[in-house]
Amino acid sequence: MIPPSVIDEIARVVGEENIFISLEERMCYGYDGTPNAFIPDLVARPGNTGEIQAIVRLANRHLFPIIPRGAGTGLSGGSLPVNSGVVLDLTRMNRILEIDEENLVAVVEPGVVTFAIQQEVERRGLFYPPDPASLKTSTIGGNVAECAGGPRAFKYGVTRDYVMGLEVVTPQGELVTTGGKTVKSVTGYDLTRLYTGSEGTLGIITKIYLRLIPKPEAIKTLMAVFTKLDEATQTVTLIIKRGIIPVTLELMDDRTIQCVENYLHLGLPVDAGAILIIEVDGARDLIESQAGRVAELCREGGAREIRTAGNEQERNEIWAARRAVSAAVVQIKPTKISEDVSVPRSQIPDMARKLREIALRYHLDLVIFGHAGDGNLHPNILCDQKDAEEMERVEKAVGELFQAAVELGGTLSGEHGIGTMKAPYLKLETGEAGYQAMLAIKQALDPKNILNPGKIFGGEHLGNSGHGQ
Amino acid sequence: METLATASEALKRCSKCGGCQAVCPLYGETQAESYVARGKIFLIKSYLEGKVELSPKMKELMSLCLLCKACVDNCPNKVPVDQLVLAARREIAGEKGISFIKKNIFQNLLQNNGNLSLAARMGYLYQHSGAQGLVRKTGLLKLISDDLAKKEGLLPKVARHPFRRQVPRVITGSRPRIRAAYYTGCLTNYVYPGTGFAVVDVLKRNGVEIVIPEQWCCGIPALASGDEASAAALARRNIETFTRAGVDAIITDCASCGSMLHDYADLIEGGEARGFAGKVMDFSQFLNDAVDFQPGDREVPLLATYHDPCHLRRGQGVYAAPRKLIRGVPGLEFQEMKEADRCCGAAGSFNLSYYDLSNRIGKRKAKNIQETGAGLVVTGCPSCIMQITHVLEQEQSPVQVMHLAELLSMTYAGEADCDLRAG
Repeated sequence: MIPPSVIDEIARVVGEENIFISLEERMCYGYDGTPNAFIPDLVARPGNTGEIQAIVRLANRHLFPIIPRGAGTGLSGGSLPVNSGVVLDLTRMNRILEIDEENLVAVVEPGVVTFAIQQEVERRGLFYPPDPASLKTSTIGGNVAECAGGPRAFKYGVTRDYVMGLEVVTPQGELVTTGGKTVKSVTGYDLTRLYTGSEGTLGIITKIYLRLIPKPEAIKTLMAVFTKLDEATQTVTLIIKRGIIPVTLELMDDRTIQCVENYLHLGLPVDAGAILIIEVDGARDLIESQAGRVAELCREGGAREIRTAGNEQERNEIWAARRAVSAAVVQIKPTKISEDVSVPRSQIPDMARKLREIALRYHLDLVIFGHAGDGNLHPNILCDQKDAEEMERVEKAVGELFQAAVELGGTLSGEHGIGTMKAPYLKLETGEAGYQAMLAIKQALDPKNILNPGKIFGGEHLGNSGHGQ
Repeated sequence: METLATASEALKRCSKCGGCQAVCPLYGETQAESYVARGKIFLIKSYLEGKVELSPKMKELMSLCLLCKACVDNCPNKVPVDQLVLAARREIAGEKGISFIKKNIFQNLLQNNGNLSLAARMGYLYQHSGAQGLVRKTGLLKLISDDLAKKEGLLPKVARHPFRRQVPRVITGSRPRIRAAYYTGCLTNYVYPGTGFAVVDVLKRNGVEIVIPEQWCCGIPALASGDEASAAALARRNIETFTRAGVDAIITDCASCGSMLHDYADLIEGGEARGFAGKVMDFSQFLNDAVDFQPGDREVPLLATYHDPCHLRRGQGVYAAPRKLIRGVPGLEFQEMKEADRCCGAAGSFNLSYYDLSNRIGKRKAKNIQETGAGLVVTGCPSCIMQITHVLEQEQSPVQVMHLAELLSMTYAGEADCDLRAG
């Protein structure tokens, strides 16, 4: 526990009205989008960088952990206060500081909701493409810290591809500025990339320079139905081979289709093996022909049915199925363990087969959907957190699916981060030497282990069963 | 009604995605996780698991909800957050009791129309005898608290005579084709009788025989404070007199009352409550669905916008009918506002309990209204009218606020039927 005198000091920094002391309020800052929850000692809500520096200096003097937090929508446990300490809620720092239309750069504070940035730049005909599913609530600071992705990643890349520079408070309370508004910058180590995706373990991001691009003029949406999953995944490869880069290539497997249909009755083909939702964007006069070409390729790949949205309403109808997935699958069982393994695109059919085998072996409900273009699948295991025996099987299955991904040349996490959920498996992918290299960076920058302890290098297995409450 | 014991299935459906943050008006102003649905659900769950008690903080956090249902509507798993919060409030009221003042209001004042009218009369006298002027001029309330002084400014002008005392119990125009009861609600009765006259005027001109039975508060203030017994007692009285009236429909001009009257079917067991609830219709929906509504010829040359009351749009699913009726007004131009269905911050007595927070929410509404350039904002709930009027006044905005019934009544040539007024 943090002594009351230290809490008073923190209160003097941010103001009485910007700390939460009561158990009830602290509990509300101890969870994220995973099933786990803890209770921090204190929640502090700084309003500017200076206040953050002051709190970090107090942490160095009194040795308490600091856990930076945005909207708390993470799916890997990155913002969980696993060792108590002070949750640093950054949502008050939510200003868009500048949209520089000359240099195509937006300068923002970490607490701005990503969707707000997108709306603001799109009004000016510009575009910030990363689109994690949580974008209407998640903050840009959290997106940068976890290096969030989204369906558009295949064509446009992930958050890291748009971070040009950062202002970061170090674990000692100093201020570091990396990169900036220049497109090119090779001044020493690329600290921007190091901090991006560092999950709040190396520094607290206080300002972000985002790269913007011109907004594509138009978008066209298609849905293709396949009898077999393999046909769908091979069609993805075919489209790309023929030189078309769709903005999204969303895949839903048979079990997912059945769940959604049971839930919403949209008239989806329940006997299909897979559905692909494909979008192309670009200049208005080009995308019509491109969409036609995609439809042809789908047919060539074995699609038994193709629907092309002629207007916004039809586009929404197609997306309704994909958007309903999260709600539909929890109708099977209440707890959703959502993984985000990625494999090279060509390995998707093999990965899907392995996932099915694992689920069968552990008698678990598993659905597969996700971003087929970039090989980022979302196998979701549906289970009940209250069923301890089932949760044990889930843990074993998760271990095996990570193993399978790595064996196929893939990665544990495409876009959610390691956090606490995947920390026990990190070495599977990095190997001992890679792990030690990362650990050395952490120890060099944060020798007192002040910032977000227990993440990435968690070691201790936290599992999925809601420890710590 | 959902109780906390039966709520655990609903609680489990919350996947903690945090999507409610995007639509919660309280979160929008405060960014406080303990105010948003996800936080409240987590706390209720923790209480059921014995990890947290019904502490004063818990009571405060549970009272910090507008019950606007925006989160329910937006939730991918449709967790009935408002019902869970109400269940928590009931549990807290049952364990800890409710305040002496609230108890007196719900269990005595609201159950007795004579006393309620007397209270309204006293309010009227306060506002007209010079007492209000004296209190305001001397800054007496500011001495006690600044907040109290602001709240006093929120109090509406109480009407000299309650609406129901001014109209006959049965109003028949020429050739009535349908017989409907009119549930006036407390605000129309005591504060906005003009809305009542407009409702009666429009209905009468469109072939409706109107019955106004003896009636009591709908019970929503009691239910929202966790006093289910008082709410149920009021419901029983209303069901009895309205059932005896033998009508085809029960019309409401207040979104909150209407939503509550629909909920009688959950509050009270039995076919009579279901029958009652099945007949309840919002004024706009009734005009749109049940009669062949014809507006008058008189033009209303204004640019108008519309605010969706939470309990109309999400509580009763009514949003197309009022817009259609407004667009049908001759000479009027309609302009949709941004976030038309976002709560105005009134939320029953929330604006009295949490004035500053409610006012901040209201300011966003005022901004959205003003951005349309409209000279008139129309809505379907007297409580929203009170709040929106208050926030627009603070901005010194010339925008008029009006109930849909008043707008429609304006289209008929001549004054509203003055001969209705008994006194």
